[in-house]
Amino acid sequence: MIERADELMIAYQNGDDDALAGIYTLLKPALYSFIYRYTRDQQLSIDIVQDSFVKLQRYKHHYHPGKGKIKSYLFQIAYRLLIDKLNRRKKWQSFMPFLTPITKEELHHTDRLTIREAISNLPDKQRAVILLFYYHDMKHEEIAEILTIPKGTVKSRLHTAIQSLKVELEDDFNESRSL
Amino acid sequence: MNHDPFKKENHLRTKLDEYHLDIPDFQMKPKGKRWERIINFLASPAKDPLEPLVSTTAGFTVLKLAPIMGMAAISIIQLFFFL
Repeated sequence: MIERADELMIAYQNGDDDALAGIYTLLKPALYSFIYRYTRDQQLSIDIVQDSFVKLQRYKHHYHPGKGKIKSYLFQIAYRLLIDKLNRRKKWQSFMPFLTPITKEELHHTDRLTIREAISNLPDKQRAVILLFYYHDMKHEEIAEILTIPKGTVKSRLHTAIQSLKVELEDDFNESRSL
Repeated sequence: MNHDPFKKENHLRTKLDEYHLDIPDFQMKPKGKRWERIINFLASPAKDPLEPLVSTTAGFTVLKLAPIMGMAAISIIQLFFFL
C-alpha cells in the first residue's frame, strides 16, 4: 500500500492530478487515526487531515522519494500543523477561557475507554511516539524524522511510554495475572 | 536494527489493539476555504462566561448588585476628585 502511495506521489509530481485522489484514499485513514488518537477531537482531526493535503498540493515538489516515504512526509506535515494549531489554541484559551468549544465525548465500551484514557493521559511527546510506532508500524528513523527528534530520544520516549501505560493500566494487568 | 519493545508485552498489546476507530467520511478540501472555517469557528458552541454567576442564587444576586456597586464606587471616586 505504501509503495503504491509513493508511486502515486511521483505520478502526481509529474503532472498526473488524479493521482492525488489515490494518495488521499490510501493515506487518509492512517493520518486521521493518528491525529484523532492524539487529540480525541474529531473536527480538529478532519481539519488537520484536510490542511495536510492542501499543503501537500502546495509543496508537492518539496518531496524527494529518495529521502523517505510519502507517508512519513505527510505525517510530518500533519504533525507540524497539529502542534502549531494546538499551541495557538492554548494561547487563545488562556486569554479567553470561555471561548473553549464544548467537546462531545463518544460513549464506548469500558475497556476501550480505559485504553483511550491511558493514551490520552500520556505526555504529548510520548503519545506521539507510541501511536506512530504501534498503530502505524513506523521505524525509529521514520518517527525521528516526523517528530524532528534524535533516534535515541524516540527509543527512550517509547520505553517511558510503555512503562507509563503499564502503570495506567495496572489494575488490568493485575487482573490478567490473577486469571 | 529496530528492537520490538512490545515483544514481551502481550497484555499491553491486547489492550492497544482494542482501540478501534471509525473513520468519518470527508472529502479532500479544495484550496482556500479559510472563510468557511472562520465562520464554523464563530458558529461553534462555546461556554457561557456568566454561567457560574447565573446558575446559583448568590451568583445571580451578585450579578444584579454588581452594576449598582460599580456605580456607587465610581460616584465616590468622583466625589474624592471633584469636591
